[in-house]
Amino acid sequence: MEKIINKLLKLPSLILVIVLITSVGFFKVMKSNSRMETDLDKYMPQNHPAFMYSNQAEEWFSIRDGIIIAIEKSEGIYNPQTIEKVKNLTKSLQKMKEIKKDDVTSLYTADNIIGTEDGMDVKAFFKNAPETDAKLQKLRNNVRSNEMVFGRLVSNDETVTIIIAEIEDDVFSQEFYQRILKLSKQYEGPEKLYVAGRPIVEGTMAYLGPRDMKRMVPIVILVIILVLLIVLRSIKSTFFTLLVVLFSTIWTFGLMAAFGIPIYAVSTMIPVMLIAIGVADGIHLYSHLHLFMIGNPSATKKEAIKDLIHGMGKPVIMTSVTTSVGFISLLTSQVYPIKYFGLFTAFGVMVAMVFSLLLIPAGIMVFGLPGWKTDSKNTARKKVDLAALYTRKIVKHKYLTMMLTIIVIIIALTGIRKVWINSSFLDKFEKDSDIVLTDKFINANFGGTSSLNVILDGKDLNTFKSPAVLEVIDKLQMNVVNNNVMVGNSFSLADYLKRMNKVMHADDEKFNRIPESSDLVAQYLLLYEMSGDPDNLWKVVNYDYKKANLTFQLKSDNSKVLNETIALIEKYRPEFKELGVEINYAGSGYKSLVFTDLILQGQITSVILALLIVVILISFMFKKLIVGLIGAVPIVITTMINFGIMGLLGIPLSTTTALISSIAIGIGIDYAIHFIERYKIYSKDNDKETTCRLTMSHSGRAIIFNAVVVIAGFLVLLFSAFPPNRMLGALVSLNMFTSFLGTVSIMFLLMYMSNVYFKRKKEIK
Amino acid sequence: MKITKTILLFVIVISLAISMSYAEELTALKIIQNVYSRAEGEDMQAELTMTLMNKRGNKRERKIKQYSKDYDAMEKKVMFFISPSDVRDTSFMNWSYDEEGRYDDQWIYLPALKRIKRISSDSKSDYFMGSDFTYDDLGDRHPYEDTHRLLREEKFDNEDCYVVESIPKEEEYMYSKTATWIIKDKWLGLKKEFYDEDGDLLKVLSVKKYEKIKDYWIITNTEMHNKQKDHMTKMMLADIIIDGGIDDTTFTERIMKRGVQ
Repeated sequence: MEKIINKLLKLPSLILVIVLITSVGFFKVMKSNSRMETDLDKYMPQNHPAFMYSNQAEEWFSIRDGIIIAIEKSEGIYNPQTIEKVKNLTKSLQKMKEIKKDDVTSLYTADNIIGTEDGMDVKAFFKNAPETDAKLQKLRNNVRSNEMVFGRLVSNDETVTIIIAEIEDDVFSQEFYQRILKLSKQYEGPEKLYVAGRPIVEGTMAYLGPRDMKRMVPIVILVIILVLLIVLRSIKSTFFTLLVVLFSTIWTFGLMAAFGIPIYAVSTMIPVMLIAIGVADGIHLYSHLHLFMIGNPSATKKEAIKDLIHGMGKPVIMTSVTTSVGFISLLTSQVYPIKYFGLFTAFGVMVAMVFSLLLIPAGIMVFGLPGWKTDSKNTARKKVDLAALYTRKIVKHKYLTMMLTIIVIIIALTGIRKVWINSSFLDKFEKDSDIVLTDKFINANFGGTSSLNVILDGKDLNTFKSPAVLEVIDKLQMNVVNNNVMVGNSFSLADYLKRMNKVMHADDEKFNRIPESSDLVAQYLLLYEMSGDPDNLWKVVNYDYKKANLTFQLKSDNSKVLNETIALIEKYRPEFKELGVEINYAGSGYKSLVFTDLILQGQITSVILALLIVVILISFMFKKLIVGLIGAVPIVITTMINFGIMGLLGIPLSTTTALISSIAIGIGIDYAIHFIERYKIYSKDNDKETTCRLTMSHSGRAIIFNAVVVIAGFLVLLFSAFPPNRMLGALVSLNMFTSFLGTVSIMFLLMYMSNVYFKRKKEIK
Repeated sequence: MKITKTILLFVIVISLAISMSYAEELTALKIIQNVYSRAEGEDMQAELTMTLMNKRGNKRERKIKQYSKDYDAMEKKVMFFISPSDVRDTSFMNWSYDEEGRYDDQWIYLPALKRIKRISSDSKSDYFMGSDFTYDDLGDRHPYEDTHRLLREEKFDNEDCYVVESIPKEEEYMYSKTATWIIKDKWLGLKKEFYDEDGDLLKVLSVKKYEKIKDYWIITNTEMHNKQKDHMTKMMLADIIIDGGIDDTTFTERIMKRGVQ
């Protein structure tokens, strides 16, 4: 390997030109082919049974997420102007090309079925806004006595009414959202208008995250450049280190684009990894070079490079290969964006390795050695002294260090038990953002902006015409709504039948219950089909009455709320089973719940797998199992502290935060291998104390530089406007820090105490 | 002088154009009137099989025995459900009036409830029993309710047809326009396209079969396809008796309760 690199380095300019041209090529592919994936359904494994079922159910019952527009009039909505606005806004929404006419529900479109002495009246609540007080009062009474509308379309205090526009998954865009906002603005005053709903939350999140990243990344890079300049003390070194990071990122995204793989939200983690790892390679190389030049001030650049490749080629290759294999373990995940993330990060790491070993030396050949602003002898000595001092101190206090580590691990373990998964989208927004406030407002006045669909699957035709089955549904609805304050209301075929029964008995409240016979159920349904809009019926039951859809409206899309609601529903599973009815779940909220669980499971397996691979690979590389085990210690500690702090601070696991544990592994491997390799090299000609000191001032130095650079860069994200990006910055920085600390403290001590590489020496002596 | 001439010429051209379009309007109206007044007999009894099909290909079938009779200014119709069994003997009666703006009177008898209930609905756009036909689609629309225009004449299904476009005078009507293919010598509509309020194609009605029964052309097999929802309704009439003489008492609540004999 060393020979090949040395041979290639005979033509340094050619290498630079080829890499540059290829990078430009990849950049062009990336520019023209890259696209962001914003449809969250595309993230989910389509062949997973839960998603397959949910997608089918969404098709059966036209389950879609709705955009909700609320109109608030604090003096009450029953006045000609407000009612007129409901009508006009409804019509404007129906005219938008993204919205189908029948998919808009409001007081204007709703049917009012009312019972009279001799029969039944099917009427619109209003066609033109009523002008007189008497007519307004009548409208108010009609709404009040219709439980299908009151509390659902009009708030209980009659100051807010909502319009719901259901849209297909792929319809939402920021441009469409802006048009809706503009439209609602036109109706503003004296009424207040609010726009909410899951499509908006999802869409805005998919848009805000990357937009914020675009703004923050240049600042992150700028800070990294600055810190690199301080640490490396050379413009050339900084430039080539950055070039390695930049080119490996371009190649990675270029390759993704060439394969037609879209950029997913988790793909934004790829540059994060490549920055951390690419910078590490550069720093280790330049750091080595610098130390070599201090030792051999008269050496030529050729000699310097020869020593560089000889001394650092092996650890750079070892770290990169191990890190890549670690990332490839993410292929075990069932989630495609994560598989791609693992695969392409692995590719990027390998590319960064090749560039580090080719571009950096080639750069030195062509542009000369970096002109370090050389330390005065004093400061250089001071640094070496510092490393020696640290080494002495930590060896002296080894038991204290061990104890402290164990205490930290115990604290982390208590934290890990508190870690919870959250698939909520709303929780990712600023607490005082418009989206969260609007959502709160609507949740306070209505059933809820989030929903959970319970799909009931019967064995026989007409299962859902059976009063026994309908009774259980009704009981379940009542129970769940009454026992969970976060469940606002529910909606099912039972509601239609209770309403019809009441209406057909001259609006007598006594008959607001499930009809007694299945024939009567069938006849009511026929009557509803004849007089109401049958399409409404097909949202709660299917054509042959074998399947039914029961919708719960929730005041939060938080995983805790979803899980609690599901637990309440599950109590009815046996009762339904006796009637031959199976329970399943559907809807976007449920899907993200399952999805987050999947990501987490995948993450746990792949972290364990990666850890195993790391232990095996390091053991083979250093031909000692004990070294493999010691090398894994900082990774384990970093991962534990990461999750421990998340648990203690109440930061939930989500798609991005779960992936951060991969950084711990990637960086941990880097640090461990560089450190151990140095330790091994120095151990050949030195005694243990000197080996420790030299390793600390060589690898220890590079490691702390690397940590400082990346931490400084990612701390910038703390000023991000998007909370998940802030979290990312904080957790990446934390992981870099614990990896560094773990390597130079506990891992070093374990090396020291296990006497690896010194046992034989003693025997010889 | 020149200006006067120009104006005169202008006036002549305009009035010619107006009278020409008026003539065209007359023919189109005449065609529709011929269809409207095509004799179909005084009364009819038949067994109707209505098949509903949704976009997933699921089907539901209902069999109904129906009686209808023309009166001076109204039409009376009564229907008895034969199948599916859980709605058997449910009956439905509809009286529709020629008088403009007067809503239909409707009654329903639910055997499981053993009660007759009056249904009043203020909407003509209600769909008939969950089908793709509205009550209005099933009834005869008076020619004066629309403005008609002869679009062209063309061969359709091997028949020479007029294609007439009708635009409702009422602004808030559920269709913005319809286009009808009418067989020239029979005054029988073969196909009709319905356009929604936005001018997009909503539904297509196709006549699959018509028969000559007692000198009358009777449409016996139709299909309405809602293109926007991809939902379809087939209506087939069998055992048709025209002018068999239906007793006036058939259209009473007593018979509704008693059911088909």
